Amino acid sequence: MSQGFLSVAGAAKTFGAATVLDGVDLAMDRGEFVSLLGPSGCGKTTLLRIVAGLMRPDQGRVALDGQDITRLPPHKRDVSVVFQSYALFPHLSVAENVAFGLRARGAPSGEIAPAVKRFLDLVQMGAYAERSIKALSGGQQQRVAVARALVVGPKLLLLDEPFSALDRKLRETMQIDLKRLLREVGTTAIFVTHDQDEALTMSDRIAVMHRGRIEQLDTPAAIYARPATPFAFGFVGLATGLPGTVYDSANGIVTVATQAGPLRGPGHFLPGSPVLLGVRPERIALDHGGANRIEAPLADAAFQGARVQLHFQAPPDGQILVETPSLPAAAGPGTSLKMSWAIDDTLVYPAPAEAA
Amino acid sequence: MNASRRLDPVLLLALPAVLYLAIVYGVPLLMLLGRSILSGGTPSLAPFGAFLSDPFSWTVIGNTLRIAVLVTLLCLLIGYPTALALSRARGAAQALILVAIILPLSVGVVVKAFAWQIVLRRDGVVSQLMMGLGLWSEPQRLLFTEAGLVIGAANVFVPFMILPIYSVLKLVDPRLGEAAATLGASPLYRFFKVALPLSLPGIVTGVAFVFSMAASMYVIPNLLIGDRFQTLATLTGRSFLFMRNEQLGSTTAVVLLVLTVAVVVGSAALSKRLGGAS
Ligand SMILES: Nc1ncnc2c1ncn2[C@@H]1O[C@H](COP(=O)(O)OP(=O)(O)OP(=O)(O)O)[C@@H](O)[C@H]1O
Ligand SMILES: [Mg+2]
Repeated sequence: MSQGFLSVAGAAKTFGAATVLDGVDLAMDRGEFVSLLGPSGCGKTTLLRIVAGLMRPDQGRVALDGQDITRLPPHKRDVSVVFQSYALFPHLSVAENVAFGLRARGAPSGEIAPAVKRFLDLVQMGAYAERSIKALSGGQQQRVAVARALVVGPKLLLLDEPFSALDRKLRETMQIDLKRLLREVGTTAIFVTHDQDEALTMSDRIAVMHRGRIEQLDTPAAIYARPATPFAFGFVGLATGLPGTVYDSANGIVTVATQAGPLRGPGHFLPGSPVLLGVRPERIALDHGGANRIEAPLADAAFQGARVQLHFQAPPDGQILVETPSLPAAAGPGTSLKMSWAIDDTLVYPAPAEAA
Repeated sequence: MNASRRLDPVLLLALPAVLYLAIVYGVPLLMLLGRSILSGGTPSLAPFGAFLSDPFSWTVIGNTLRIAVLVTLLCLLIGYPTALALSRARGAAQALILVAIILPLSVGVVVKAFAWQIVLRRDGVVSQLMMGLGLWSEPQRLLFTEAGLVIGAANVFVPFMILPIYSVLKLVDPRLGEAAATLGASPLYRFFKVALPLSLPGIVTGVAFVFSMAASMYVIPNLLIGDRFQTLATLTGRSFLFMRNEQLGSTTAVVLLVLTVAVVVGSAALSKRLGGAS
């Protein structure tokens, strides 16, 4: 029943010669929190505006709660938006901003004040009800914008990089608060971000967007462990990528010739295929216990509190990233160290096209 | 603190304007005021009393206010949608609308008067249009009527309504309308609760411009309606130029000034009340 609460099918949009959305499919369950993660200009805001009804797709359909809403104007959709710039009404007080949607929908006046108070309290802005919008900090405006969007009880909440203007500390608090709030209210939400940490911490599922397409839609753990495309691999989490050429393939294991020597990983490729071989930094051990073994000179060590991040030089001009709990004794810049990882921890992708 | 009380040096930049206004505007104004209350050599409000006790004066004041209000309303009615369209238009369309608004300003009123004669006379464009639409059963002359005066004056003053409203509207974040839409507000509700209140400062400026110009216009009534219809401004002109009655002329001028200032200040205060937090 709930499967396909929101469904976007084949959404496409071009501006002049530029294809901004290239056939996007997205299906969400009721109550789910999905992040749209991708670099600047990949079409995240465009997709959001199409779902909100602020823009018509050239092709494709949008359905919400069993109703085709592709041609429905925004004010009939029941889809609230928290804009990146918040877009609070400067001529109204905090409480009047939150009341706006209820008034516009003709809610009985007796219900408006209690609802406004409840949602202002939920975002911890109860003490600011009579303030002018201009007398609020960025974080406070953000909270008001969330309350204003949620008080109308939307079927779907869209958030376009709502935290990008906040400092790191406040951002982390807001992430936790928003997640808690959405669980309490039980709202289905799409959250746009280009910050992978934000997407990994907050989401039920992440949609990795690249050049107007969703390349992978999966849980944060699955996206991190098994990125479907070289782009998803490079964009989510830290990673080492080594280019090479397959020279042997047997039983679902390929052997790849790289500048660092022969390395193996799971995959089905014809010998001679150019590939990209990837491995996560915490999967590499500083010994020769794994099947894929190399040795490389240490270039740099970055202390990060609980862990140390090591950068090794990889021939010809690449870099291998390793994360360990502590720096091995007597290791300094230039020291050559052994390292290894398991075949199963290796990711093998077709080599991305050069011009890409 | 001392430093904050000292005059901001930037204010000195206003000095040329202040001097200019003081010499060409302030001094003559004081002389005018002086002449209106210093008739018999001693200051007295008697000239005002005499003026206001004459029923004809009240007809003239009524004419002035009625025409000014009607012209202002017509300009607002035509100007607001135009300003809205202008603020939404992009590129060539925007340039075209702007030129269409500003270019007529360079055509003198006397030249326009010829055009109005064609448009407003009994067999003129308006009359034929109304007949064609079936709204009028027989041709009517608008020239030398109050309606014709209002139409002609609005034609001259409408840019002064459009431009201030446009300059405010173009600064309004288009996201505000979108936010209102996603909150469930219909286009009409968005207009009355978002666009209109946010453009109030522009409306007040436009109303102040057009009202004060319409209340004090002299040439346009002379061309479009003639002597039978007197306003404070035309009466002032006649007093000085034809009747040689400087006493009456300066009195009517001061009454006009007081009325105009009262309306302008009043509308600004009203908008502050309505604008609330802004
Ligand atoms: N109205 C428009 N007219 C022309 N091009 C547009 C328009 N809106 C967006 N674009 C283009 O479409 C592309 C995608 O824009 P979009 O705003 O969806 O990106 P985004 O993923 O939200 O990026 P960001 O993270 O920087 O916000 C960009 O290259 C942008 O220049
Ligand atoms: Mg964006």
